[in-house]
Formats: sequence, C-alpha cells, structure tokens
Amino acid sequence: MQVKVQAESGKMDVNQAKQEHLLALKVMRLTKPTLFTNMPVTCEDRDLPGDLFSKLMREDPSTVKGAETLMLGEMLTLPQNFGNIFLGETFSSYISVHNDSNQIVKDILVKADLQTSSQRLNLSASNSAVAELKPECCIDDVIHHEVKEIGTHILVCAVSYTTQMGEKMYFRKFFKFQVLKPLDVKTKFYNAETDEVFLEAQIQNITTSPMFMEKVSLEPSIMYSVMELNIVSTGEDGVSTFGKMSYLQPMDTRQYLYCLKPKPEFAEKAGVIKGVTVIGKLDIVWKTNLGERGRLQTSQLQRMAPGYGDVRLSLELIPDTVNLEEPFDITCKITNCSSERTMDLVLEMCNTNSIHWCGVSGRQLGKLNPSSSLSLTLKLLSSVQGLQSISGLRLTDTFLKRTYEYDDIAQVCVVCSHMNPDS
Amino acid sequence: MDNNNIETQEPNLSLDMSENVNSMKNTDISSEEQLLEPPEILFQDESIDLGGENFTTPQEQPILDNILYKLSDQMMESVIISDSPNNSEDDAGQLEGLHDVLEQCEAGEESLLKLSTETKENNESINDTSDLENPEKSQKDFQSVSTVNEDMNCKDSSKEDESSSQLAVADSILSNSTNQKIEEPTSKNSAKEEAIPVCTIFSQVNNLPKIQGQSLKPDGFEPAIVKSPSFGSSFETPNKLLPLMCQPSPSLSKFFADNCQSNPASDFFDSFTTSSSFISVSNPNANQSNSSVPEGLSSVSSSVLSTPQESATPAFYFGESSSQPTPSNVTPTFSQLQAAFTGTDDPFATALNMSEVDRRYDAWLPSEETRKTLISIATLQYNSVLNKEKLTMPGLKFDNLQGDAVRDLMLRFLGEQAASKRQALTANSVEQSFLGLKQLISTKNWRAAVDLTGRLLTAHGQGYGKSGQPTSHTTDSLQLWFVRLALLTKLSLFQNAELEFESFGNLDQPDLYYEYHPCVYPGRKGSMVPFSMRVLHAELPQYLGKPQESLDRLHTMKTVCTKILDHLENGLAEDGSMINILQENRQACWFNRQTSIQLWRSRLCRVMYSMANCLLMMKDYVLAVDVYHSIIKYEPSQKPQLLSGIGRIFLQIGDIRKAEKYFQDVETDFKTKGNDPNQNTVVLMNRAFVYLSQNNYGDAHSSFSEVLRIDPTNPVANNNAAVCLLYLGKLKESLKQLESLVQQDPSHYLHESVLFNLTTMYELESSRSMQKKQALLESVACREGDSFNIQCLKLM
Repeated sequence: MQVKVQAESGKMDVNQAKQEHLLALKVMRLTKPTLFTNMPVTCEDRDLPGDLFSKLMREDPSTVKGAETLMLGEMLTLPQNFGNIFLGETFSSYISVHNDSNQIVKDILVKADLQTSSQRLNLSASNSAVAELKPECCIDDVIHHEVKEIGTHILVCAVSYTTQMGEKMYFRKFFKFQVLKPLDVKTKFYNAETDEVFLEAQIQNITTSPMFMEKVSLEPSIMYSVMELNIVSTGEDGVSTFGKMSYLQPMDTRQYLYCLKPKPEFAEKAGVIKGVTVIGKLDIVWKTNLGERGRLQTSQLQRMAPGYGDVRLSLELIPDTVNLEEPFDITCKITNCSSERTMDLVLEMCNTNSIHWCGVSGRQLGKLNPSSSLSLTLKLLSSVQGLQSISGLRLTDTFLKRTYEYDDIAQVCVVCSHMNPDS
Repeated sequence: MDNNNIETQEPNLSLDMSENVNSMKNTDISSEEQLLEPPEILFQDESIDLGGENFTTPQEQPILDNILYKLSDQMMESVIISDSPNNSEDDAGQLEGLHDVLEQCEAGEESLLKLSTETKENNESINDTSDLENPEKSQKDFQSVSTVNEDMNCKDSSKEDESSSQLAVADSILSNSTNQKIEEPTSKNSAKEEAIPVCTIFSQVNNLPKIQGQSLKPDGFEPAIVKSPSFGSSFETPNKLLPLMCQPSPSLSKFFADNCQSNPASDFFDSFTTSSSFISVSNPNANQSNSSVPEGLSSVSSSVLSTPQESATPAFYFGESSSQPTPSNVTPTFSQLQAAFTGTDDPFATALNMSEVDRRYDAWLPSEETRKTLISIATLQYNSVLNKEKLTMPGLKFDNLQGDAVRDLMLRFLGEQAASKRQALTANSVEQSFLGLKQLISTKNWRAAVDLTGRLLTAHGQGYGKSGQPTSHTTDSLQLWFVRLALLTKLSLFQNAELEFESFGNLDQPDLYYEYHPCVYPGRKGSMVPFSMRVLHAELPQYLGKPQESLDRLHTMKTVCTKILDHLENGLAEDGSMINILQENRQACWFNRQTSIQLWRSRLCRVMYSMANCLLMMKDYVLAVDVYHSIIKYEPSQKPQLLSGIGRIFLQIGDIRKAEKYFQDVETDFKTKGNDPNQNTVVLMNRAFVYLSQNNYGDAHSSFSEVLRIDPTNPVANNNAAVCLLYLGKLKESLKQLESLVQQDPSHYLHESVLFNLTTMYELESSRSMQKKQALLESVACREGDSFNIQCLKLM
C-alpha cells in the first residue's frame, strides 16, 4: 500500500519539479576559447563556379581577409565540452543563477565548494547574500582554482533564497570531474669523478594535446648550485638543445640535463654530502591552448651519494694529453670521510705497468682530521703510449693498519712527443 | 510490508526518502531545528557525473569525443534527482557512494608518483567526507521521526550493509535514473560498469554526431537506384537509340553563355562536343576518328552561333569573371539536358585556336607511363584501345536527394506550418543548367546543387550505377564532377566525396588528358582535370583521418608546379616543349609567359597553403610554420596575414613569446611598407590575442572594442569582444552584444561560429534556452540555404 502512495507522491514531484524552484543554476567550465578553423575549398575563375567560391569565402566572416586559404581564423568560439583537466592547471568555471520566475526573489546566497579527496574548499568570490533578484536577471560568478590534487573532484553549488511568500528554499547541484596527471617525470643521477652530480630528468607529456614547456628548472637545495645544460650558447643568444620544437607532442618525452656542484662551504665538510642528500626539486611550467597555464613541482629529489668509505681520493686536476716519457702533474684531494677518527696516511703506488710515480715510494701524508682534506700533487710519467689508466694508488692508515685501494681513478692520453702538436 | 523492507533494502530506502521529502513539504519546515541548519536540509540535491574517468584513454578518441560533447550539455541541463519518484534513495546512496569514491581516491593517492603539488597530506579527508554524509543522515533520521518512524532498525542495518552493497546501490541508482530521465542513453554501458554512485544523468545529446557535421553519412544512402524525378527512364532510350543524333537546341547558347566569355572559342566547342560521349555508352570503341567526321559536318550550325565570341584574341582571356547571360525562359526538359552534351565539335576552328590560355591553364605533367601512352596515341593517330583499368569510369555513387536539414529541424520544433514557409531553392526550382547550378551555389543551397550536378552528370551518361562503365570525358563533365566533389567537401560529406573520387584514381589516367581525344579536341593538350580538382583530390584524405596521404599527393603536385615554373623561367612552354618562335609578336610572347608564370606561382602557393593547412591539422606546428613562412616569398601581399597567422599558431601551442615576436614582425612590416588601411585592425587584433593568452580578458576586450571603433562592422572583433565579456563574468552583456548583432546584421552574423557561441550562452543563461534557439532557427530559415550547418544551433 505504501508503495502505491510513494508512486503517487513521486509523480506529483515530477510535475512540480519545474515550478518548484524559482532560480536555475547553470555551470559551465571556462577553458580557453578556441580559434575557429575554416575549410578552404577553392576554384579558379575559369572553372565552372567562376568566382563564386572565392566570393563565398570572402563573405564568410570566419576567414582571414586577404588570405582566405589560411585555415586558422581569428574567430573565437566558446569551449564545446568540459575537456580534460590536469594537475597544476587552473579550474575556472562560470556559475550563473538565473531567476526563471516572474517574481522577485530575496536573500540569495550562492555557494560554490570544491570537494576533493582530502579537503573541501570554498571557491565563491563572496559569501554575502544578494538582497534581491528580479525576474530574468542573474547572479554571475567566475570561480578559479588551481588544482592541486589528482582524482575525483566534486564542485558543489548550493543556492538558498527566500521566495516572495517568505518561504526559504534551498537546492544543490554536484558536478563531478576527474583531475588527471599531465606529466610523467623520471630522474636519474650521474656522479662525476669530481664532486659534480649530473641530473637527467625525462619529462613526458601524457596529456592528449601539445604542451609548450615554458619553464623547466631545477631549484637546488641549499647545498648545491646548479647549471642548466639545456642551452647551447652560440654568440649572444643561447639556442635551446631542443631546437625549434618548443613544445611536446602527446606522449613525447624530453630530456633535461643539469649539473649540480656542491657549494664550497658544504664541499669542504665532506661529511655532509654522504648518504642520502636532498638535491632539489624540478619546477615545471607549461602552457597549452591560447595560454592555458599549468605548473607543477616535483617532490624533493633525493640522491644517494656514492659511498667513499673512510677515505676518499678525488682528482682535482689532470692533463688530458701528455708526452711519452715526460713527467706530468696530477693533483688529487684526499678527504677523511669518517666522522670522528683522525687518520695517519701513507700513499703508495704499486702494480703499475705504464704509469710511474716519480718520487719516493710510500710518501707520508701526515695526520688528517675528520671531515678535512688535503691537496696533493703527484709527478707521474708514462712509459707506454695510448690511453693509460691511472691505477694502483694505495692509502694506508697506519693507526688502524687499514689499506684503501684506488684503481682507475682517471685516464690520460699518452702520445709520442714529436706527434704532440704542442711541442 | 515489513517483510518487504527487510528483504530488499533499496526500495525500503527509497520509501524512506520520499517520505522525508514529503514531510518536508507538508510540514513546511515547521520545526525550528530545520530552519537552524538550512544547508543540511535535504531538499533537492543534484549531481552530475562529468564522466572524468572516461577521459584517460586517448585511444578511444571517437567515443571520447562523443562523451565530451555530451558533457557540455549535461552541465547545462542537469536534472533534479529527488524530484523523481523511484529515485528518492539517491540521497543516501549517492552520498554513500560519494564517500566511497572519495575513499578510493585516497587510496589511489598514495600510489601517486613523486609528482605532487605542494599540498600537505590531509588526513582529515575522512572527517570531511563524513561531514558530507553524517549530518545529512542524521537529519534524515530526524525527519523520518516526525513522519513515519516505522523502520529505524531497517535503516541501521541498511547503513551497515550499504558499504558492502555499494556497487549494487550505485547500479540501481543508475538504472533508476535511466528509467526516469529519458535523456539517459541506454547504450551508456561504460558508466554502469564504473558503478560511480553519483547519479549519472546524460542528456539526449549523446546521440548527436560530432559537431563536425557529418549528418549525412554514406551509409545513410540507399544503394537502390533512385532516378531523379525530372528525367527518369525517358533519357535512357535516346542514349541507346541514336548517339549521333545531334540536337541543335535553341537553348544551346544559353548553356555556354555563362562561361564562354572567359573561355576561348576552342573551349566553347570542347565544352559541348560529345556526341561521342553518348556513343561511348553503347559502344566502348566509339572514340574513333571516323566518328568525328559527321560530327564536324553537322556542327556547322553551332559554330556559326559561336563566332561572335570568337572574335577577340583568346590569349587575353584569363581570370575574367563571366558576364551573366540573360536566362531564356525554358523549362528544364530532357532535350535541354541532352543538348548540353550533344553539341558538336568543329575541328577546323579548334585546330586553329589551340590557344595560349588553354595551354596555360590545362598544362600538367603526366607520369612517365601516361606520357608514353599519350605520345603513342598522338603519333599513331588512332586510339589504341587501353586496358579497362587504365580508363577513368566515374559514376554517381549515390543518387538520393540531399534534402534540407533546416526544414527538417523546423518541422520538428516549429511545426508543419512554420516549415512550409521555408523557401530554399531546390534542384527542381532552378534551370537544369550551369546557370541554375551557379544560382544554387551562390544562394548557399549546396545540397540542391549537388543534386543538380547529379542530374547533369546522369544526362552525360555518368549517373548512378555507371561507375565502371566506359564513358568519355569532356571539359564540362569534369567541371561538373569538380563542382559536385567540391560541394560535397564543403558540406563535410567527405566519405561521399571520397567514394566518388575513387574511380578517378590518381587523376593521371591517359583518358583524362586532351591528347587522348585527338578527334574531339584536335590539337589540344594538357589535363582535362581542372587544377582545383587536383587540389581537392589531394586535400580530401586529411579530412578522413589520412593526412599523410594528403601530404603525399600535395608534394607530388608541388613537384609538378615547380617543374612547370622551371620550364617557364627557362623560356620553355609549360610542358617543357619549345615555344613556337614564329609568333609574330615577341612582346605578346613575353607577356604570355609572364602571365603564365604568375598563374603557376599562384597555383604553387595554393598547393603550399594546402600543405601548411594539412600540417596544422596534423599538429606538426614546426613544419606548418615553415611552409606558411615560405609562402610569403610568393605572395608578399599576404605577409601581414601570414605572419599574424603564424603568431596565432604559436599562441595555440602556448608559446606566447614567439607569437609576440611574429606580431612584432607584422608591425615592422607595416611600418616599412607605409600606410595600409587594415594596419590598425591587424595590430590591435593581434594584441588582443596576446592579452587573451595572458588571461587578461579585460585588456583583450578593450582591444577588440578598439577595432570596432575603427571598423564597427568587423564581425570577428564583435564576436571576440562578446566572448571576452563572458570570461569577465558579464553573461548578460555578452549575450546582448551577440544578439543585437545577429538581429541587426544577419548576413554577417548568422555564421556557425557566432551562433554556436550564442546558443552556448543561451544554455548558460536560463532554462528557457530552447525557445531562444528556436527563434534563431527561424531567422536562419529565412536567410540561409540548405547547406547551413544546423549543429551549431544545438537544438538536438
């Protein structure tokens, strides 16, 4: 029996539905407008239609006057659909509350909230009620919100008002949309022989439209200074390594390269750059259709510093080409990486076939305090031509009787003296 | 009743809610508690699923488009859920589901990669979402107490169970909404599978084709032979009966009149030769030289007719628009149609007048194989019988009438009476001639014009079902084909155009060259296929998703054009042969060559424009910009437009800095060239676009308005200013501007882009957009022809 009642009352509802609310709420997402493209079909005057086609094209308001065969016109058209929205873009929407009735409505309050998976944001420009709204008039609001979360978003628009009869009315509408991920970012670190670290970032456009990369920069953490390697400087103007392609087609990937150098104050304290360090974060700004802007930052990129053990030997200076059987200098830096142990070091060079150390074998380097380093110049000599590897350096800590081995620390090209252009 | 409730929770829930709603109304918010918390009162909640999940997969483009298109209207026409009878459980189910969705999202969030904007992870989400849910629930409970407190127990249990049976709930909601809202397309399976509990309401727009009007797809055409009414079986007989029968009809002159002025005399004859065309229908070997003898003799009368037009030197006839002849008042009859093609040829006159103009316009370089065939025909003086595959045998692929979509729409929305007032020209209401065809084209009744070309081609023996049957070509038959295919393309009936283009192959078969028909066109050389038809043929595949094929064809055309230009610049004829030095007037010779170079330059430009347009469609912006840029060299007068166009391309990509650079180039170009009347308009317009791209709609609007101060009737500036107003939140102002434009100057503003904007704003403005759109339809109906793209009215 009750079912019956319910059905009847339901029917009544349907009939009343249209009259029930005096106000109508309309929402439209404001993506950028698009430029109208026309389709040029031309003929020559000698053809059957004569000048008809060209006349029709000249009269068409959407063509470019003087160059009617140019497809891309100047006429703006409003967005035709909701489209996609991506993380980092700005969600803009037109909210219009229109008085459909023939009576004045009072105390209208329009509230627009955005419900994300983690929070609820109020997007309305003003939270004060409008005193009255005459028939055929509307309350307009354009809301903007930079999208900072992926996933389901629900725009909740609530309208409350008072009728002439003093009846308080209220209704809501939900608009649900998905925020998608626009970019895929992969990073990779390369450790140089020196303290430098190279960061390669692969950025892939996973949207369905071309994307102009306005800015891709690495914001280094306080420990590092960064050099971007994405511009080839020729003369005054730097030329991007990406050439004329300033944009990324859908699914295209681009590699950015950065060179990071530890700032001197941190480089000295070798202990700091050990283990996991924070390198910095990538800041990406892109634009799409008619300047629709998006911006993302990656989380802090972290890098596992290579383990240098207790003592680190790094090269400061080495010539790339040397003459056969002529002595040359290399400068290396020896750092005590341990945290509290002072070392007493002896340097040796052994098991060498081609490169020889000119000097007393087994040099005493003296005491080295924790987190401090010393610079050391070695005179070497090569007896064999070709690309030679500098190997066989041994550091021995006399306190602990521990030996550290350093092989293949650098390479040097050995040439015959009369072939070396310098000599 | 109790049993009922326990067994199935959903109906039970629905009962509950409907009661609640009723109680709210009945008690008229008598309880003060309700008044205290208005936001929680569940009056009418609507939710619209924008179907975001569907967006993710780019491969599903067609479906996606469909959905996307649909969405815009969903936004506009959301339906109040709790109005509907069975749907009243939505509130519970919906919020429950919403909660569920949010939870899922949360879970998903954790698996996100490093890309996260700088938002703190907020663990309050659960609270937040329950916020959304709990108070309302309690509210609900509260209300149900006031009216029917029958099933509190049930409710609790249902609450617990709900989470487990959410999927079911969601499904039921979906199906409920399907039942109630007629708009919900039943085919929307994907939405159901997703089981998103937020009620999905799709309006009927789903069934609409994409806006790129493809309202008439080829599959819509019936393969059955439907003869055009005016000449059904009547004309088949004469075809078979007496091909050589020549009918010197009095209306003959009218037929040529409108293009003979621009054509030299030879053309005049060429145009209507073809008693052979009718021979060929019954006798494939008819193209024999002896057949031309009687033709020549019998054609004396018509050659006399033509002499006055012959008097001027043909060399100076190019590119002049034809003067309109006075149409003689003859009813379209079959004999007249027949006459259009049964004129005969005067070999003497044509031989003497292998004119400069013909050579210039018809020149084309055939492929090597075709060239050999043509040479062998020329040297043997016989028609070597070719393989059937090498012949071009076109025929109509569809023969039903195109109709008038505007009228259909009126019939549907405004009733029969209104529709009967619609007066668009049809193929029947004009002369069955080129003149009538032109009339239809210029009044934008392209569908009717397509019908008429069909009739004229049928009269030529290339009608429906004639594809694959040997036929003979004339200048006119190919022009008719060109017009037909061009109009089909203009109407976005690309598949149809492609279908009918098929039999023409790559437009390089020997029988498409004049040399193949030495008896019909003695001494004439070059391509019978008009250059514009080649362009059309090359452009067509890009509209059918095969841009690469278009590019290939365009490159081939470009090669030929550059080769011909090379020949001309080296003092040779277009086809590379030596020019007859014996010409008495060297100056005329030089003049001819300059004209020819000009013509071929402009043709080369046309091809390059097509290439650039195609590249633009392929979104290969770098190449497109390169090609557009290279056109400037050939068309220096279009430099400002081209540079501005390139600038706009960069704006489209989002590269505002480069766009500004190009716009700057436009300004410096104006400065160096001096005063150009359009100078300010172009500069201001470009500036406005830059502002627009910087999200500065205010300045963009004032720039567009400034253009209007200089040029108040500029339709682009008017429309664009109105669009800017909308983005500034001034819907009413924007509407007012567009509406007044459409009312005051319909000839300029009944354009699909403007109307599309206007209807979109109507939808945003009020619930009564339908009436306003119908008013637009009425003004369209009394102005526009049958080629009007009705999609932009968004009536369906």
